[in-house]
Amino acid sequence: MTAAKLFRHETILAILTVIAMIVLASLSDKFFTVDNLLNQGRLMAEVGLISLAMTFVIVTGGIDLSVGSILGLTAILLGVFWKNLGLPLPAAIVLAMACGTFAGWVNGLIITRFNVPPLIATLATLALYRGLAEGISEARSVRGYPEWFFFFGQGEVLGVPFQLWVLGFATLVAAVILGLTPFGRATYAIGANEVAARFSGIRVNATKLWIYTAAGFCSALAAVIFVSRVTTTRSDMGTGLELDAITAVVLGGTSIFGGRGTIIGTALGLILIQALKNGLALSGVKGDGTIVVIGLVLIGAILVGALFDKNRGG
Amino acid sequence: MRTEQIGDATAADAALPIALRSISKSFAGIKVVSDVSFDMRPGEVHALMGENGAGKSTLIKVMAGLYQPDEGQILVNGAPIRFPSPKDAHAAGIATVHQELLLFPELTVAENIFLGQTPKTALGTIDWTTMRRRARELLDELDSGDLDIDQKVAHLSVGNRQRIEIARALAQDARVLIMDEPTAALAEHDVQRLMSIVRNLRKRGVAIVYVSHRMPEIFALADRVTVLRDGHLVATKPISEVDEPTLVSMMVGRAIDRLYPAKQGTDGDVILELDGVSHRGVVRDISFRLRRGEILGLAGLVGSGRTETALTIFGITPATKGQILIDCQPVTITSPEAARDLGIAYIPEDRANQGLIRPQSVEDNIALANLKRLTRGIFVDAVRVTAEARSAIQRFGIRARGPEQPVRQLSGGNQQKVVLGKWLATNPRILIMDEPTRGIDVGAKAEIHQLMRKLAGEGMAILMISSELPEVLGMSDRVLVMNGGRIVGEFDKDHATAEAVGTVMTRSMTREDAA
Repeated sequence: MTAAKLFRHETILAILTVIAMIVLASLSDKFFTVDNLLNQGRLMAEVGLISLAMTFVIVTGGIDLSVGSILGLTAILLGVFWKNLGLPLPAAIVLAMACGTFAGWVNGLIITRFNVPPLIATLATLALYRGLAEGISEARSVRGYPEWFFFFGQGEVLGVPFQLWVLGFATLVAAVILGLTPFGRATYAIGANEVAARFSGIRVNATKLWIYTAAGFCSALAAVIFVSRVTTTRSDMGTGLELDAITAVVLGGTSIFGGRGTIIGTALGLILIQALKNGLALSGVKGDGTIVVIGLVLIGAILVGALFDKNRGG
Repeated sequence: MRTEQIGDATAADAALPIALRSISKSFAGIKVVSDVSFDMRPGEVHALMGENGAGKSTLIKVMAGLYQPDEGQILVNGAPIRFPSPKDAHAAGIATVHQELLLFPELTVAENIFLGQTPKTALGTIDWTTMRRRARELLDELDSGDLDIDQKVAHLSVGNRQRIEIARALAQDARVLIMDEPTAALAEHDVQRLMSIVRNLRKRGVAIVYVSHRMPEIFALADRVTVLRDGHLVATKPISEVDEPTLVSMMVGRAIDRLYPAKQGTDGDVILELDGVSHRGVVRDISFRLRRGEILGLAGLVGSGRTETALTIFGITPATKGQILIDCQPVTITSPEAARDLGIAYIPEDRANQGLIRPQSVEDNIALANLKRLTRGIFVDAVRVTAEARSAIQRFGIRARGPEQPVRQLSGGNQQKVVLGKWLATNPRILIMDEPTRGIDVGAKAEIHQLMRKLAGEGMAILMISSELPEVLGMSDRVLVMNGGRIVGEFDKDHATAEAVGTVMTRSMTREDAA
């Protein structure tokens, strides 16, 4: 796994991102301003955190469709623990995040212990967790959080949004784990050939359980930031977020069949999508048009990737 | 015995179902087949031999229309022809029985045989009656009347699937049948059956290109033999003019002194002991002892529980009953990592699926079983990973461009050496080898045998599973025979003859059936 091979797709993506930035900047003078870019960073933090965990999930050859629902469930629990049960807010945050992490662990357990395909298992929990969120919330939103809580979603440290620091740090940690540690090696091995990984003494089930639990944790963390940013809690929060995360990961060059992918790729995919969404909106393109462009970029990136893959194999 | 003819005369060419003249083929600038001429006569079995990488597969693929030759000519019945696609080769009467059988598991036997050339009714729908009748006839001709033509292929054994592929070739009216390592994955009784089918086909005038590493089959079946080495034609000879040592030296370009290296040193202490070990119904009440420095052979038919026993020792399917002892201490092995940490290594029979991560590099594969040792702090030490791979490449003579080459690009023998390198890097004390030389050419095979002896001489305890009786008899210091999940016989080196071991294997089988 030499650097040259790994960075091929990422290089194309980086070039594509730069081109997109230049084009978007020329379309609207509001796009390439410090304020706008930092604000976009703020907006992509939640999907970003989830995409990092999703990269691991997809590298093992799995998928996690329930991340958006876990986000919604965690958000609701946060509100309910604080407002309805009267817990102190810090305790409510910790407890809600523990529940979100547990939801991820349950996914992992269903997948590893009962050999349910990840697609089916998380499709089921997608419905289950969302249903729980809706049931618990009884269609009421929670508002009136104290001022200090908004720091997570609206505050700044050294002029940079707080959640962008979190995302940056998490990206670094994820990149190190996937790229440089035995755990990362195990993740790639499982995705490329699960049987051979097992026969090589890799703890396949333990590794997968950790990864799905981490996906739950990242979703829960994203939930707290989300609630803090929008100042209210609703049960439909995070609906469809799983698809945004998967899009970023796949655009980043991670093979949906497992065994290949990098955190850098995911980060670039994420930036490209956010830039397109924002830049096109600023240039006056309607929402539908933006989605079409993102779809086309995704297909294009995958075709280019497949082309390189073919050359590599031949 | 056929008389040898000189292939130059065009009159003689006209009768040849296929002839290759001075074929060359290069990939990425490397000539893998160079100026090779090869022809088939009607009703002959023509063995094509050579080490892995000698160019056999490429030559076969040229005949089957999968590759276009860069130079040279293909003649069918004396007329030059081109095969732009496999379809054109089929049309010219050339069919292939692939090593990895290309059947559709969810379709029935009859559907598979007639896939792509299904008999149609006047309305254009599938003519099931004709199809089933003809499938029945074809299988009967292959002495396979016992095969249910309405059964899904998914549930059939490898031997049965192979017969279906042969029937498919016959349904296409093949005049030349290319068989690529047809016995590599077969159990002994299926091998016998295949050989009688091949003889039957020869009688019908089908020309059979027979690619195999197994000498006894070659001498039992072939009329002529062609040997390739490094892409060049060494010679084509009638089988009566060659013997086994000649063939081997033709293939490797040097004489291999002795096939099975002699034992070095004496056995040490008992290191592994199984006492009444069982796993569900497949491993039943297995007890034996393995000493340091000993090679213990585990013989038996495919499905007799040999691999299952190995998997139980290795923790893939943990023992449900009984006791495993290492150094006389009882141990519980519930996972491969536990087995590895106890000093057990398992070289699996299915290299591609269990042994290797084929898209990954040589170094990544070797590191995989040794990650704990190759990690400093929380980071995998990339420098040591590469160093480890380099030393394995050198120690085992792995022919690879370097540690970063993906293993899927290596030949079978070299892939097996990577698996060995991976596991020997864990410093095991007990080495379980399941079909250690399956699908590997003579040269690499001899190297692996020598390595096994050397390891045993250094005190390693080796448990070897093999379906090749000569290998079991040649390599083992002691032979255990398994059947129906049980050990049914034990022989020491002096008493382990082909007759004795074979008899116990078959006799015990009929007893099992009766039970």
